[in-house]
Amino acid sequence: MEGRLANSWRLTVNDKNFIKTALLSEIRIDGRKPFEYRKISIKFGREDGSSEVQLGQTRVMGMVTAQLVQPYRDRPKEGILSIFTEFSPMADPSFEPGRPGELAVELGRIIDRGLRESRAVDTESLCILAGKFVWAIRIDLHILDNGGNLVDAANIAALAALLTFRRPECSLGGEDGQEVIVHPPEIREPLPLTVHHLPIAISFGFFSNESILVIDPTHNEEAVMGGRMTTTVNANGDICAIQKSGGEGVPQRVIMQCLQLATSKAASITKQIKDAVEVFNTERALRKIKRHPTSTGVDVREKQN
Amino acid sequence: MENKQSSSPASFVDSTVVPGDVVLDLSSMTNQTIKLGGGLRQDCDAISAVKAGTLRFSKPNKYWIESSQKRYVPCVEDTILGIVVDSKADNFLIDIKGPAMGFLPVLAFEGGTRRNIPKFEKLVESLHNSILFSMRLIGLYHLEVGTLLYLRVVKANFGMNPELSCTDASGKAAEFGPLKDGYMFETSTGLSRKLLSSPTCPVLEALGKKLSFEIAVGLNGRVWVNAASPDTIVVVANAIMNSESLSGAQQIIMELKRPPNGSERFGHRQLR
Repeated sequence: MEGRLANSWRLTVNDKNFIKTALLSEIRIDGRKPFEYRKISIKFGREDGSSEVQLGQTRVMGMVTAQLVQPYRDRPKEGILSIFTEFSPMADPSFEPGRPGELAVELGRIIDRGLRESRAVDTESLCILAGKFVWAIRIDLHILDNGGNLVDAANIAALAALLTFRRPECSLGGEDGQEVIVHPPEIREPLPLTVHHLPIAISFGFFSNESILVIDPTHNEEAVMGGRMTTTVNANGDICAIQKSGGEGVPQRVIMQCLQLATSKAASITKQIKDAVEVFNTERALRKIKRHPTSTGVDVREKQN
Repeated sequence: MENKQSSSPASFVDSTVVPGDVVLDLSSMTNQTIKLGGGLRQDCDAISAVKAGTLRFSKPNKYWIESSQKRYVPCVEDTILGIVVDSKADNFLIDIKGPAMGFLPVLAFEGGTRRNIPKFEKLVESLHNSILFSMRLIGLYHLEVGTLLYLRVVKANFGMNPELSCTDASGKAAEFGPLKDGYMFETSTGLSRKLLSSPTCPVLEALGKKLSFEIAVGLNGRVWVNAASPDTIVVVANAIMNSESLSGAQQIIMELKRPPNGSERFGHRQLR
């Protein structure tokens, strides 16, 4: 009992009241305006398909891997896209190791819905041999630090990882043309995934009094707010998904306002993701060019040793 | 490493040490009793550091390592900020950011007797004011879960819950007790120690010249700020949090650069 109390994070009465009263005069505790997003930084690992996104204090790592599997019976020509979340107790002591909590399931579902139902990733191009072999793309999202608004951060991490992921090239061979040959990356350049558009999740928090609306709520604000809504939109203004779970009701007028705000934010975030991916791709290409001279240099040194 | 071991032990005091550094050599200090605090370990004649930080020495014979961390290790006579989590018959359970809950005995208030125990439950609103008023008269308070308290650590023994008190050593309330309104934020223990150091920390000095605010710093890495307007509280809280990794001069520059009012309250612009 006492151990559980020690592990649960809590907000003081003072903080709860302050967050509410400050919002009445449009002030947020980190100095933002109600409709201001936190600073996003996107980093990539050395390997293809790994990303780390930092949104204020929140940190999420995304990792994309692929495997050749047999497709589902009802969809023999489609690849498989699946999302797994990992909420480590290191990120927040209230996350229990082992079984996924309510938040973990919800987060996975929101991102899954945004990506899959809007057909952002072209699954048909992942088919190698209909009914026999397709690529199964697996997105792992690791929450490293919980500073609030995990959904948006995890969504950006998933997109950034998908955009930099490359799968090995395959061709059919053998006597009957039914044998799959996977070419190693040294022989044939791996292929990027086909991503049609980027569904960006934007979360809003609602506060009970005077129907106050904030974008990108922090950890403290999440503890105080009465309800939340996540809208997934892309830069073209298409609505991919809306998630409004529990909490207080929201009038239609407010939802329309949220969607407008989300569309403009999604455009700027899309640009930021694309810029970051561009920089990564250039670096990657440069690394390729440099490979030959450095590799011979290493060989010589190894011989000396 | 070699030349560190041969140098005199006193030279390590107030300097930065890292795990593995041998900070004291007992063979050269016979006929002396020394007391070791947190972060030091004895290996036969060598006292070595087990965590990174600054080696401190207090006369006559205490040595310890001061470091900056998120978790607080209770120490007797520290003043801290705690949050009420639960109340038991004899104790309030207080979250002090430490490895264990702190116990605040219900009698550890000024004028605390068996008859006048601070109430924990929420009282009926009409009764509330009059009861609160009468408790105030005898120096007692109304504590509900989530109340922020300014406290003193009385006992901090290994393997026991630390014992806290809302009075000073002579039993007076002094400044201790619940903090009303304001905003509490968390920092590292290193920053909170810096804020309490004398001469006054540059960031507080610079802020104090322009703004008027109330501040309470707990050694457990919690800081409470109160001011007339929420604007001031937000400015002060963020200035303190951002000053963590800045030098004294940088802190003053940060404060000078801050526009006096308006939308751009901080030096940096957030993404839109």
